[in-house]
Amino acid sequence: MKKLYICLAMFAAITFGSCNHDEWFDRDSKSLITDEQLWNDPKLVTSLLANYYNRLPSLHGVFNTGGMTELDDAMWSGHRDQNWRNDFQFGDDYGRYWDYGLIRDINLSLENMETLSVSLTDADKRLFIAEFRFIRAFVYFEMVKRMGGVPLVTTQMVYDFSGDPTPLQVPRAKEHEVYDFVYSEMEAIKEDLAANNASKTRANSYAALALESRAMLYAASLAKYNNLMGEPIATPGGEVGIPASMADEYYRKSLAASKAILTGSYQLFNENPDKGANFYDMLNKKTGNEVIFAKDYAVGLKVHRFAYDNIVKSLTEDNESSSTISPSLSLIESFDYLDGTKGTLKDRDALGNYVPYSRIEEIFENKDARLYGTVIYPGSTFRNRPVSIQAGVATWQNGNYRFHTAPELGQQLENQLGEDYAGGLWTGFDGPKDDAQDVSNTGFYIRKFVSDAPAASTRGTSAANWWPWFRLGEVYLNAAEAAFELGRTDEARGYVNILRERAGFPPNSISLLSMEMIRNERRVELAFEDHRFFDLKRWRLAHIVWNGAEDDPNAVVRGLYGYRIVRPGHADHGKFIFERVRPSRFRRARFFRLANYYASIEQRVLDHNPKIVRNPFH
Amino acid sequence: MKKKITAILTIALGLFVTGCEYDNFEAPRAILSGKVVFDGQPIGVRNNGPELELWQDGYPLRALIPVYINHAGEFSATLFDGQYKLVRKGNSPWLHQSTDTILVDVRGNTTLDVPVVPYFNITNESFQIGGEQIVASFEVQQIVESAQLDQVRIYLRKSMLTDHVVFDQEINVDRGSVELGSETRITAAISENLKSSDYLFVRVGVKSTASGEYCYTPVQKIFLK
Repeated sequence: MKKLYICLAMFAAITFGSCNHDEWFDRDSKSLITDEQLWNDPKLVTSLLANYYNRLPSLHGVFNTGGMTELDDAMWSGHRDQNWRNDFQFGDDYGRYWDYGLIRDINLSLENMETLSVSLTDADKRLFIAEFRFIRAFVYFEMVKRMGGVPLVTTQMVYDFSGDPTPLQVPRAKEHEVYDFVYSEMEAIKEDLAANNASKTRANSYAALALESRAMLYAASLAKYNNLMGEPIATPGGEVGIPASMADEYYRKSLAASKAILTGSYQLFNENPDKGANFYDMLNKKTGNEVIFAKDYAVGLKVHRFAYDNIVKSLTEDNESSSTISPSLSLIESFDYLDGTKGTLKDRDALGNYVPYSRIEEIFENKDARLYGTVIYPGSTFRNRPVSIQAGVATWQNGNYRFHTAPELGQQLENQLGEDYAGGLWTGFDGPKDDAQDVSNTGFYIRKFVSDAPAASTRGTSAANWWPWFRLGEVYLNAAEAAFELGRTDEARGYVNILRERAGFPPNSISLLSMEMIRNERRVELAFEDHRFFDLKRWRLAHIVWNGAEDDPNAVVRGLYGYRIVRPGHADHGKFIFERVRPSRFRRARFFRLANYYASIEQRVLDHNPKIVRNPFH
Repeated sequence: MKKKITAILTIALGLFVTGCEYDNFEAPRAILSGKVVFDGQPIGVRNNGPELELWQDGYPLRALIPVYINHAGEFSATLFDGQYKLVRKGNSPWLHQSTDTILVDVRGNTTLDVPVVPYFNITNESFQIGGEQIVASFEVQQIVESAQLDQVRIYLRKSMLTDHVVFDQEINVDRGSVELGSETRITAAISENLKSSDYLFVRVGVKSTASGEYCYTPVQKIFLK
């Protein structure tokens, strides 16, 4: 009986007690974020933005070691399983980029910002919207420079289940319309982005202007140089091909944007009196005021393995990899001498005899300081430690030098070649060695972007130096090119000379500027920064420079091997001579066909949307 | 017991044999081969350079079948029997006729000569060796009226496959010296590294501004000694 009462009492307690507390069951999910939460919390919107910033596209950029070895600036010396990078042709789909997934995500975000965010402050909301639009324009710019005009979709596209998909089939916009879209978007949001002006890793007003400066320059040079071709590359509907008459207007817009940045608070990085080291520090350190917009990394949080891939062989801290990117001789020779002469190295005299140098680094002396900041050449240092780059020794036999390389890297020369020749280094720890893996095959290593932080080249720690999307150096060159094309040569010369002064040239080092010089400046200043492929495309020079000819010094990546002369009793004994080589791992000359100016559109896309026209030659 | 094993074996064998029919397709066996021709003559191209496209309708997967063309203008593709559409693509030394498809019925081995319209063509070529020089004579014919001449070049190589990408020597013919439709005669020195060989392969190529590819004469073997 007692039991029954207790049961009843408990039953009553449970039923009555729980009645009033239904909300007790209404708990916020710990694993889901609702739209209301997301769009009304500045912290959550910022982390969504971080996701989109992280998805900003590049072709050979953002520490893409492999991509950087697919042009004429470098070859692949890493693992043999990727030697196809030294033995490939640009396919029809090379550089294809068609990311409407990201576009849709951004469009959706923009619409949700409008409809669902009610408690954000007006300033916050405007800033976020501007950032979304910046990213979207950036993505469209990346698409148009690779594919030509693409469908301009700025709203979410929803199927209405009517059985008719035609409203979803957006045709391609004209090429110039996409560039105009980028411009008008940047003009519309640059004021709103001013709140970010203290940040270098979120888009700010100057990042918008920098995108404008670059995009307008691309549009202008496409308008100009495409129409100078024997037969301009174009489609009847203008999806590819910008009328020549639009060039000047685009150059003016680009110049105006560049000037707006140059009058801002940005300054060329100049913290190290050693000009070469200064150029390296500019991208390796996160100080100074040169970088406008960057993708940042942090140890323990978000890292990359560019240093692991590319550290000099003898300085590697990990048990695998190193030395993947081997810069080419043609890149090294594009750095001028400080007296303004062409950068061709003086390895032989006019009669074709080797020029002996008493120190191995002597041949690289008096060159543009950016050479030191960009590549590691024989006799130079990294992390304050000397590198050991020497291909072998040269002995004098029958009136000619004969080259001998050691079977092992870092080997000292003993009696292998005879007692007379014994003594000294035979082949350096860092090679170069032909047909070898994980050691330079060209005689050069990359310095730019390779972090010198402790343990940066280990996989455990990895590197945390940042990737510059935009920096002032490029803006100077954009301004110079636009001004030059508009006929304002004095102004253009001024911009180039300022940049060259930072590289160690005397003031006003160029007195007569030419387009060739501007192009060369871009190659050396912006090497490995994901510009060269697109620069040569927009000047319509890619098919001429990378002509696929096996004996062409531009299309073929070559190296320069230094040898120590072993010639006892002769004045040149102990000096160094240099031999130009074609590394045997480099198998096929770079070959850019007219079809590569615009990548082919994927068949799946053409099948789904009959309004999409194909690119020329595809 | 014995019966059981036999039964299991029979079933297993049965599955094996029937399974095969479902899993395996017979490999395509019909070979479509032919040449790209103009005026009945094959057009020489860069080896594996220009391509033709084949399409087949009626299947859910719609993807092109690339057909590569060798240096002499010959191609071949191994296919299933059926009806195909053949497209002449751009970036070839001939007119882009992407909408002008050729219907091909493949029934067993099929031969098809694909007519193309090159922008320029070279006829009546001949090569002579005089000392250390090569004398080439040829006529450049303009086929497409609107085409503009871009390059005329002579390619020399020790081995047979030679074009504007692989060559041992390239002789650039000045455009000014080329008169369309009449004989051009070029005398050029053979380069140092080729002089000592017993024979050479040579061909002349012509390129219009509309394309990155050359149209070549057939490869000729010439003896230096």
